[in-house]
Amino acid sequence: MAGATRFLGTMAGDLLAVTRRHFFADCGVGVGKIALAGLLCGTLRRPAVGGGATLSPLAARPSHQSASATAVIQLFMAGAPSQLELFDHKPALARIEGKPLPPDVIGGQRYAFIRPDAAVLGPRFRFARHGQSGGEVSEMLPHLAKVVDDIAIVKSCRTDQFNHAPAQIFMNCGFAQPGRPSMGSWVTYGLGSESDELPAFVVMSTGSGISGGSANWSSGFLPSVYAGTRFRNAGPPILNVASPPGADARLADDTLGLVSALNRRGLAADGDAEIATRIAAYEMAHRLQTSAPELMDLADESAETLGLYGCKPAEASFARACLIARRLVERGVRFVTIYHEGWDAHSDVAGNVRGNCQKTDQASAALVSDLKRRGLLDRTLVVWGGEFGRTPMVEASAVLGRSQGRDHHANAFTMWLAGGGIRYGITHGATDELGFHVVEDEVHVHDLQATILHCLGLDHERLTYRHQGRDFRLTDVHGRVVKKLLA
Amino acid sequence: MRSPDRLTNPSRPVADPCMHRVLSTVVAAWLIAGPWPLAAWAAGPDFNRDVRPILSNRCFKCHGPDDGKREAGLRLDVRDAAIAELPTGEHAIVPGRPDDSGLIDRITSDDPDSVMPPPRTKTSLTADEKRILAAWIEAGAEYAAHWAFVPPQRRDPPAVRGEAWIRNPIDRFVLARLEAEGLAPSPAADAATLCRRVHLDLVGLPPTPEELEAFLADSAADAFERLVDRLLASPRYGERWARKWLDLARYADTNGYEKDRGRTIWPWRDWVIRALNDDLPFDEFTIRQVAGDMLPEPTVDDLIATGFHRNTMLNEEGGIDPLEFRYLAMVDRVGTTGTVWLGLTVACAQCHTHKYDPISHTDYFSLLALLNNADEPEWVIADAERTRREAETTSRIEALWREVPGDWPASVHLADRLAEWTARESARAADWRVVRPSAVESSMPHLVTQDDGSVLASGDQTKSDVYTLTLPPVDVPVRAIRLEVLPHESLPAWGPGLCFYEGPRGDFFLSEFEVRVPPQADRLAIATAGASAGNAAAAIDGQMSSGWSTGGRQGRGDAAVFTLAQPIAPREPIVVTMRFERHYACPLGRFRLSVTDHEGAEATGHPADVEAVLVKQPDDRTETDQDTLRRRFLATAPEVADRIKEIERLEASLREGLATLVLRERPADNPRRTFLHRRGEFTQPEREVAPAVPAALSPLPADAPANRLALARWLVAAGNPLTGRVTVNRHWQVMFGRGIVATLEDFGYQGGSPSHPELLDWLAVSFTEPADDGGMGWSLKKLHRLIVTSATYRQTSRTTPALHARDPDNVLLARGPRVRLDAEIIRDTLLAAAGLLSTKMYGPGVRPPQPEGVTEVAFGSPRWDASQGEDRYRRSIYTFQKRTAPFAFTTTFDGPSGEACLARREVSNSPLQSLTLLNDPMFLEIAQALGRIAVTAGGDDRVRLNALARRLHSRDLAKDETDLLAGYLAAQRGRLAAGELDAAKLAGGGNDDATRERAAWTLVARAMMNLDETVVKR
Repeated sequence: MAGATRFLGTMAGDLLAVTRRHFFADCGVGVGKIALAGLLCGTLRRPAVGGGATLSPLAARPSHQSASATAVIQLFMAGAPSQLELFDHKPALARIEGKPLPPDVIGGQRYAFIRPDAAVLGPRFRFARHGQSGGEVSEMLPHLAKVVDDIAIVKSCRTDQFNHAPAQIFMNCGFAQPGRPSMGSWVTYGLGSESDELPAFVVMSTGSGISGGSANWSSGFLPSVYAGTRFRNAGPPILNVASPPGADARLADDTLGLVSALNRRGLAADGDAEIATRIAAYEMAHRLQTSAPELMDLADESAETLGLYGCKPAEASFARACLIARRLVERGVRFVTIYHEGWDAHSDVAGNVRGNCQKTDQASAALVSDLKRRGLLDRTLVVWGGEFGRTPMVEASAVLGRSQGRDHHANAFTMWLAGGGIRYGITHGATDELGFHVVEDEVHVHDLQATILHCLGLDHERLTYRHQGRDFRLTDVHGRVVKKLLA
Repeated sequence: MRSPDRLTNPSRPVADPCMHRVLSTVVAAWLIAGPWPLAAWAAGPDFNRDVRPILSNRCFKCHGPDDGKREAGLRLDVRDAAIAELPTGEHAIVPGRPDDSGLIDRITSDDPDSVMPPPRTKTSLTADEKRILAAWIEAGAEYAAHWAFVPPQRRDPPAVRGEAWIRNPIDRFVLARLEAEGLAPSPAADAATLCRRVHLDLVGLPPTPEELEAFLADSAADAFERLVDRLLASPRYGERWARKWLDLARYADTNGYEKDRGRTIWPWRDWVIRALNDDLPFDEFTIRQVAGDMLPEPTVDDLIATGFHRNTMLNEEGGIDPLEFRYLAMVDRVGTTGTVWLGLTVACAQCHTHKYDPISHTDYFSLLALLNNADEPEWVIADAERTRREAETTSRIEALWREVPGDWPASVHLADRLAEWTARESARAADWRVVRPSAVESSMPHLVTQDDGSVLASGDQTKSDVYTLTLPPVDVPVRAIRLEVLPHESLPAWGPGLCFYEGPRGDFFLSEFEVRVPPQADRLAIATAGASAGNAAAAIDGQMSSGWSTGGRQGRGDAAVFTLAQPIAPREPIVVTMRFERHYACPLGRFRLSVTDHEGAEATGHPADVEAVLVKQPDDRTETDQDTLRRRFLATAPEVADRIKEIERLEASLREGLATLVLRERPADNPRRTFLHRRGEFTQPEREVAPAVPAALSPLPADAPANRLALARWLVAAGNPLTGRVTVNRHWQVMFGRGIVATLEDFGYQGGSPSHPELLDWLAVSFTEPADDGGMGWSLKKLHRLIVTSATYRQTSRTTPALHARDPDNVLLARGPRVRLDAEIIRDTLLAAAGLLSTKMYGPGVRPPQPEGVTEVAFGSPRWDASQGEDRYRRSIYTFQKRTAPFAFTTTFDGPSGEACLARREVSNSPLQSLTLLNDPMFLEIAQALGRIAVTAGGDDRVRLNALARRLHSRDLAKDETDLLAGYLAAQRGRLAAGELDAAKLAGGGNDDATRERAAWTLVARAMMNLDETVVKR
């Protein structure tokens, strides 16, 4: 079969060369056909069907414009932290505690549990200004207080959704119903991966289960190679990354060798480019079996570093996840999300905030300072926040056994950002004196998404994907880059 | 050579803006082989092929159908408007005179303030596109109807030169095109390959070694056709094809969103499998699913079928607005209906008029109105089996009642005890008068007064519902009011409440019970409140956050008695207000009000009919009254408690039964109104719209009401240009990996053009025409048989470098299909190859084993307790589908989560897939089973290796393959013998030579399971 041999020599060889070029190079096809020209033209859009040069869907790709960040670490405070106990200091609430808010403030607002005429609850904690920037945070954030000069506190966030699952999905996917790609998927689709040993988009979760579920890191209608890869808390981080009991590394080598040889033969016989990508996928899987344990082995982290985060290497925790996030970014991973679920303070907001801060404050601040001292903060964007905020009004219900809580509040909440081209040492935006409405420099969820993409060098209006006859975007038809947040 | 796919690529119109290829003349663009009718190739710019894609992609967004966003008064999607004088006095298009056409000026302008499309849109026209538009205007700027909106016409298949290759009409269309392209079809695939391919396509499983052997040995000319007929008759056929339908129907076994609790709708899934196995014609299949409940005298199956649109998600998160998520489910139903039957992106018109296709914002909500008038109950399947069981249980209950007196202890005199009881209870009883409300009002639920004076609620609910009941004047003073809360079969869990999400089903929560005597506005003071169950005092405490509920006693009646501080004088009008407020909707479903002038009335705990007898004078009690009292006495007597408990258990079982989610058209006196919502937002209803289909499509028949049934029939009516094409195209895609129209879900202006338009139309006409007229009468089995018996389908899938270069995506079909298998088929295939697959059909979803931790991130971190025994190995269609944490294997291989309608799965190829097939315990178990088969098979290593190849890949090994495998086998045997590998762990137990041998074969099987060939159809 001289023809077949020649065929293998040319096409299969070329395909393998192309697909080996990058980590997930091998993950692709069906999807493997990317119209490179499309990227060069400034529209990041892969043709829905076929055509063009074969290239890995995860090959690193140039951005639309110059980027100030190459990676994102998203600290997703699921359940929605109380901005009124952490960042948005409203002494006026203490003055009218126990009385209802004026009706003209409330308008037609809908709530999950409380009635709009519920009484006001004053802030539960003391606030102070810190650092040279004078950033104001509550006594519950002693560690973050030390890095306020490195972060931008955004007090004027607003969302459209007031229930957890839709709001989490909205924050991640720009749309409240499941089925659209998450931000990490969009970013990976737009920029590809810098790592040829680890997934481009990693998801960790250290609290209880997440309201929005896997829709939060779904690739939606994008090919599933762009979906977040979830790291488990116990056992090997990636599902099935460990060989079966009784096997060893050499068996893995032998098996890869056999599978590759037989698949190569199939490629020569059938001439389907998909086989080349499948061969490369197996090679990548093989590398993952080594790189994943190496990633998770914290033996080379100093005691000082472990202490900085408050991380016990053998114990799954938010602190360990933050440290692993830094290690992932060091290894070229593009997008990391850590979920910490537990902020849903319908009752005892003070106890809730105290407990969650004990678990998250030190490590969140440590991540910023550790990235900074390693020179990684300049190119790594850290985003901290929940899916919405909490009401200035109290939640109390005898039948539900709730008191001194706060309900969901979509109108105003606080997030913070650091690194990756974000101005530091600033506080952006403001709410009214009751913390009910944003009155200055509103940052809607779509604006935040546009800004994050902008830092990564992506134009949120040009990062599109044709699905069902329409070019979809993360920001739907909304969003504007918040220029004031950029360094 | 230009790839033919380029012309059909929806995201890239005729000329690729990025290729910077300059054509010497515009004409060159359409001399290139395209997907269009042969006759069209030599003509000038074709509107549908060349011009509309440019206008649609670049212009319609601001100059299209959406008059809300139209700029400069210019509309380019309709010719009359496009050539009309603009408000500025200019003409965008002057037919025949490009130089006088403003459009050409604008698209060629260098001035950023003038050029179109404007720089802010970040799109621009290529030189080719500009030339095409100019040439089109020069030629007269003629418009043409979009191909997909013109009904397909029956046409004779074309003549071809290569008659010998033709097996059926499909081949004529394909070959005519290949001949025009100067290409030849590929040779037929070998028998073994074809046998595997058709098995995977028709039943989703590989042939068994015996089936393969039998087919290879069958030398009859019609061997393949007989194989096809056998597969079409297999029960596995329905299981395979149902999965495709489940993708479209967004089927899952949980409700979705945060709580994501389980639901029972698998009876609908089983109906789909049966319907496909029975070859229920697709038109009937459609009508029953969209509106089975509205058919005359609907059968049980017709009702179950309406589960199609009950597969939408249900949000049970604390504090949601139930009407908002009902609205979102409606939005899903409209979009899904558009995708599944019309192949149109109707969903795009939710927020505004469609930017490209002729679907207005009003059209969208008119279509929603057609679907919107249904209630959404959980319906206990009232089939013959249930009727039989019901009769049996009822007679058993009567028999038990007859036995009760026999249980009575001889030492106690029954008649004396009954008399004592009657006297005591009579003293507690009050003379209640049932009052039928003269007026009922409700904030949302629909209230209907029944013959017995009770009020039955149905329809929508809110988190804060209020019932206002006006009682007619009575001629005695009113000292107390009794509120009976009653069960009813129409209510969730038989009521008495309407609660159906988040809270306990069938519960209610009466926050406040208020009594007024108009015109006084103040509520009357209520002195006491007591109830047969629960705390009625919570309903008169003035606190909305507390209330009365009888939760835990669903399906049973109870009563609360409210005693007024001061009696209401006779003949005063009385208004009772009931408020139901919680963080979920929970108003009452059935209740009845009574009044009494009796002093000291209390909640006796007796049903109203018993209490009515108790207050009678003993002499006035009839024989039936005596029976009533005796039964009630016995029901409460500790002496016979065991027997009574048994009776109550049986009574409760009458209310139970397998329930599934269905649609039920609302009663005529309670239609749901549908509004156009500004920007598509739930909170912004603007004006009421009437039910109708999109104006650009053929209208509903004038002689029938415009409702869901009319829509269902319209979807499959003879004049509908879309449904037939969309359906055959989807099935074609399953077989060939690519649709004749690549965008299965979009046949609109932005969708792909058909690669073989005449073939698509011929198939659509043949598929939809009645069998009497020589058509298939919507039979999917006939369609499948036609496709797989064509010569086109039987070609080898091997490609050559020349063919690959010419047509990498096999648009022209010069070879057979080579396609990655769906997740479910990969798993089922491997289970079957290992002899593990269970053939048990139907029933609740099962949980095959999967690695720990897959479900831990879902809300509440639910456990995934793997099923035991046969259920571990059921076909994947029966795998329990949890929306927020889908079965990991399915997700890894691109299966859907069931959260949205999916017409076409993306296919990816990832390291996670490799890791799964290599290391997932389920697949190791399969490898071990294959290892056992190899060990017990006869013959030498080569024979055994070949036996595995036949099971996994349905073919014999070539010598070089055998050599590679044998080398691997030898190496692993050596390592196992040397103790470098743990045989017991790899083989699943044992510690002897036989174990090591099984371990070695397990490893060989595992390697073979990881070959590309395992996961593709070729």
